[in-house]
Formats: sequence, C-alpha cells, structure tokens
Amino acid sequence: MLSRLSALPRAAWSRLFLDRQAAFWLAELSPTWAPGERRARVVDVLDETADTKTFVLAPGRRWPGHRAGQFVPVEVEIAGVRVRRCYSISSGASAPGAATIAITVRCVPGGRVSPWLHANLRRGSVVGLGDPAGDFVAAATPGPLLLVGGGSGITPILAIVRDLAARDALGDVVVVHAARSADDAIGAAVFAALEPSHLGLRVVAHRDAMEGTLDAAALLAHVPDLAARTAYACGPAGLVELVAAAGPAALHVERFVAAPPPRLRDPAAPVAIRLARSGREVTAAGRGSLLEQLERAGEAPKYGCRLGVCQSCRCRKVSGIVEDAVTGARSDAPDEDIRLCVSIARSNLELAL
Amino acid sequence: MNPLATPARTLTRAETDAFGAELDALRAETLAGLGQADVDHIRRMIKLVRYTEVGGRALLHFGIGPLTFVVGTTALAASKILENMEVGHNVMHGQYTWTGDPDLDGARYEWDTACTGDDWRHSHNYEHHTFTNVLGKDRDVGYGFLRVSRAQRWRPGHLAQPVGAALLALLFQWGVGAHDLHLDETLRGKQSLAELRRRGAPFAKKAAWQLAKDYVIAPALALANAPRVLAGNLLANLGRNVWTFAVIFCGHFPAGTEVFPVTSLEGEGRGDWYLRQLRGSANIEGGRAFHVMTGHLSHQIEHHLFPDLPAARYPALAPRVQAICARYGQPYCTGSFAHQLGSVAKQIVRNALPG
Repeated sequence: MLSRLSALPRAAWSRLFLDRQAAFWLAELSPTWAPGERRARVVDVLDETADTKTFVLAPGRRWPGHRAGQFVPVEVEIAGVRVRRCYSISSGASAPGAATIAITVRCVPGGRVSPWLHANLRRGSVVGLGDPAGDFVAAATPGPLLLVGGGSGITPILAIVRDLAARDALGDVVVVHAARSADDAIGAAVFAALEPSHLGLRVVAHRDAMEGTLDAAALLAHVPDLAARTAYACGPAGLVELVAAAGPAALHVERFVAAPPPRLRDPAAPVAIRLARSGREVTAAGRGSLLEQLERAGEAPKYGCRLGVCQSCRCRKVSGIVEDAVTGARSDAPDEDIRLCVSIARSNLELAL
Repeated sequence: MNPLATPARTLTRAETDAFGAELDALRAETLAGLGQADVDHIRRMIKLVRYTEVGGRALLHFGIGPLTFVVGTTALAASKILENMEVGHNVMHGQYTWTGDPDLDGARYEWDTACTGDDWRHSHNYEHHTFTNVLGKDRDVGYGFLRVSRAQRWRPGHLAQPVGAALLALLFQWGVGAHDLHLDETLRGKQSLAELRRRGAPFAKKAAWQLAKDYVIAPALALANAPRVLAGNLLANLGRNVWTFAVIFCGHFPAGTEVFPVTSLEGEGRGDWYLRQLRGSANIEGGRAFHVMTGHLSHQIEHHLFPDLPAARYPALAPRVQAICARYGQPYCTGSFAHQLGSVAKQIVRNALPG
C-alpha cells in the first residue's frame, strides 16, 4: 500500500525534476554535472612529440575505473556534430572515481578528430567519456612478456608498463619501441626513467629512420627468446603481422589503431548485412534502397513515407558505407544514423536492427 | 480550384523533374552547410524555454498582485509555445538528429503537450507530411470534422463548424493529442473500441501527466498561492492553444492552397511531390521574433518542401524557393498574419454552407 501511495510522487519527481529540469539545470551550473552522460575536464595538456599531445583528464566520480592497456571512447562536438573516437589510456590502471587518467593522441593530418583535439582542447575543456573497454591487458602477475608498439601504438604499452612498474611486477618484460626517429618516440622518457630502477625491464628502441623498418630478422635479433614470451602488439598492420609471424607463445593485438576501411562496392553488387539486434545475417541484392533490399530478404524494418521525409525508418548503422540516393552524400564513419528508404548500400554493413 | 490563386502553370514531365532537381540541390546545399550555428540556435531556444518556464512559474508561485500574475502567465505561455513549436516540433522532425546529441534526437524527444511524441511522429511526420492535402489520406485536412475546401463533401454537421473551430482553438492541444486515436472512425463504426483503447493508452498516460503537472502538482507546491498558480497555468495553456491553432490553420487552409484527389498520388515522382507540397501550403509574413514564435511554421512552404532541414534556415531559403517557383510559373501563397487568418476564417464560414 505504501509503495503504491508513493508511486505517483516518485513518478512526478523523476519526470519533472530529474528527466527534464534537473538534467538541464545541473548542466547549466557545470557541464560535468549533467546526469546520464560522463564528462571529463581537461586538467593538463602535455607535449610528447612534435605531433603528439597527452591530455590529462579528470573523469569525475562516475568513472568506473579501468585496466592498463584498455581504451576509452572520447566524445567531442565538432562544428555542431558529436563525434566519438577510441583512444588508448596511456596512464596506468585506475580505480573507480580516479582523480585523473591520460590519453595520448597523435595528430593525424587530414583527420577529423585528432587535429581538432590538438587545436582546441586546453585546460578546462570538457569532453565526453564512454566506458573503458578492450582486452589488451596483462595478467596481474604475468610471465615473460614482449610488448611491441609502433608509432602511437605505444600508448597502451606505456599504460601496461606504468601499471606493472607501479605494482613492482616488471619481472621479465621486453619492450620493442618502434618509431620513425628519436624525436617521434612517444614516451621514450618514461621508459628511460623506469629502466634503471626495474631490472626486469629491457627497452629496445628501434628507429626506422636509422635502422629501416623493423623486419623479422631485426625483431629476432632484439628478442632471441621471442618464442617463450607472451606478446602484445599495437601499431601499424605490418608491425602486428610481423610479430604474429615471428611465433610468440601467445599474442594479444590492439586492433582499433589501424582498422581497415570498408571496401566500396558497386551499388548493384550484393552486400552482406549483419543485423546486430536480431543477430541475423542477410544478403541484400538487386537494385533499390536498403529498405527495399531488406524487405526482399524477408526482413520487416519500420518505415513510413519511403521518400526520405518522415524519418520513420531511421536506424543506426554500426559499420559500413551507405550513400544517400537523393543527395549522394556518403556515410562511411561507424555509428551514424541512416534512413533506410533513401540509403544505397556501398559495402557490407552492420545495422542496429 | 481556388478563385484567388494565381493559376499554376501545368508543367511538362521534364519541367517537373527539373523543378524537383532544383529543390533537391537547394536541400543538399543547405545540408552540407549545417554546423555550429544551427546547434547554437536550437540550444539557445532550449535555454530560453527553460528560463522563461522557471521565471514564469516562480512569478506565479511567489508573486503578489496582478502584474506578476500577468508577466508570469505570459512567460509560461511563451515558454510552452517555444517548446512546442521551435523546439519540439522541429526536433521531432529530425531536423537536429545529425548533431548526435541525445537531447536533440528526433526519435526520442518528448514535448510539453498532451500529444505523445510517438503519436505525433506517426500522424504528423509520416501521414501529414507524406500525403499533404490529399483528401482521404491526409487526416489534417479539416481534422476529420471541418470542411475547409469545396472539394470536401458537405454534411449538415458542417453548419456548426465555426463554433467547432473556435472550440478547437481553445482546446487545441487536446485535439492534437487525440488526433491519432482516430476517434471519428470509431464513431462511424470503422474502428473497434478495443483498437481505440489500444491506441488511446499512451495518450491517456501522457494526458494524465500533463494535467497532474499543471493542475495538481504545481498548485500543491504553491500552497496558499494554489488558485493563482492554477489560473496562471490554465491561461498559459489556453494562450498556447489559441496561438498554435492560429498559426497551424494558416499553414494549409487559407485561400490559395489546394487539396488533391487520391489519384494525384499515382506515379508521383519527386518533382510532383514537391509541387503538391508547394501548392498545398501557405506562408505568413512577419519579423524574426514572429517566425521564431511560430516555430518557423510561418514558412510552411519551406517546411513542407524540406521538413528535415533546421527550421531556422527557412527564412534564408524562402527567397530562393520563391525565385524557383516564379521561374516555373508556380504560385507561392503568402500574406500577413491578419490576412491569412481572415482568409481561414472566411473559408471555415463559407464551407459551413453547402456548395
């Protein structure tokens, strides 16, 4: 009875004050107070190399903590549009509600997000943070390790080494740190500072400009007992393949750094569509919009006008490329909303249907 | 069809396609230019809604005397008008979904009126914007009980429609809220009571909440000022109802707008669809503040051509749309608020009578 009596006030409280008003007024007072979204304030910006900066973030009380080597989705608003990118956390492991974490970002020329971060983030800026994720993490007391990082791929490895050092667990760790030149080697100072006080840590600096791109022979020369080590590799696709081919005892790879772009297909060619919610996989073939193709394949997505007007068929495209049949605009970034009735599939797709 | 309209030149197939292509190009150009200014505008509007609502409610709750009552009620009415028209209606069209901001997501937004967001997205975004002014398909033509065009069949009940329209003006949010329930079909035996109940359940829930918020919770919080708060909320809701009614009736019912038979949908291409939207809609002239307070529905023509473009872009698009229409010999129905409103009133009175 009591719970029924309090149901209305509780509903009123949640709708009037929490959903609508409180969310707005809390965000008015401070952008990091907005409920529902996790926002972090930039507390420091450090120059690592000429094209790489570390952003130290205060992730707030709602930060769930993370394991060293994981990445975090970072959300910023660029020209009115929210965009998300995943960055490895370069600081060591963090506890829930940690005071600070750090991401280290190389400015990719022509990129949409990293040049913007470099140009716009300063002390006091606010960014959105998703949940940390990824299984590029070391065991609590690992056996012999080989950590290979190339370019900005060194960032999760920095995190793992920092974490092991903090726990005094650098038992037998070889880091192969590949970079174009000494000036481009992100985190070299961190390794240099740790090496003397941790006898189990050996850092091999490989500089492409002087020694040429790392190859199998050079890797084996640096790490003769490679086959006995559990390897972690992060960097350009070629580097990761090289480590895999060398045959370590086990291999962990961080893939998001160099995700291969989806392949653009002829609009008439059949495409495979994975429907993430229903778990089904269908082949869309023949001319026409994605909506028509899905219907021909036996699916029944929601739709309305079939003209690109009413937005009833809007759905989340998880990955792949589609083209707007009316404007010709292309959606190739992951996690964008598309309208099925005016979208032409231009690659294999994953849809949140 | 309408004696006042400049007769529209009948376009050839090629001309119709070219007309459509020009409007498509205008839409694509605008889409490509969307950015920070558009988001800043809608966020400014949301702020204005919040501040005027809290300011208005505070004056009603804590104020003494008639002046704070009038100012508070006016602020609350303005807040509701802005929220419903410039923010709610436009956000729910998906005009700002491209921002990726969950607060501006057209599929999720819920507005401060009796109509549920989901009912609105179906009856308005889909039915009305797809089948605009097609008799028997667009249930917004006369809202199922008014005769606003001579092409609609006259029934004796239409004699009372001037009174019916006036009542609708006062209760507009409830008319809009119940629109997607298809009450008229149940009355005519075309829809079962069970189906009506199914359709009505979300509306009943939303309606109960809206009534509780303005007429139970807010007055209760005001303690001794309860009667004042109740009266202020009632007047603010009435004011919002009459204003939205006036603006919306000027969108498709003034002289110069056309209605279409179902056959017009057969083989309709993009250009034909644009032509129907143009000929079925009418604009209202006014200043910047006026356009904002109508949610830019004063640019009904641009809104019907480009329902998913941010509405604040319509004033800049209007002269270009007008120029395209002129080149293809198409009428562009526009006039002052008083003129369009007078024209609507005349239509309602004239069409109450047979013939």
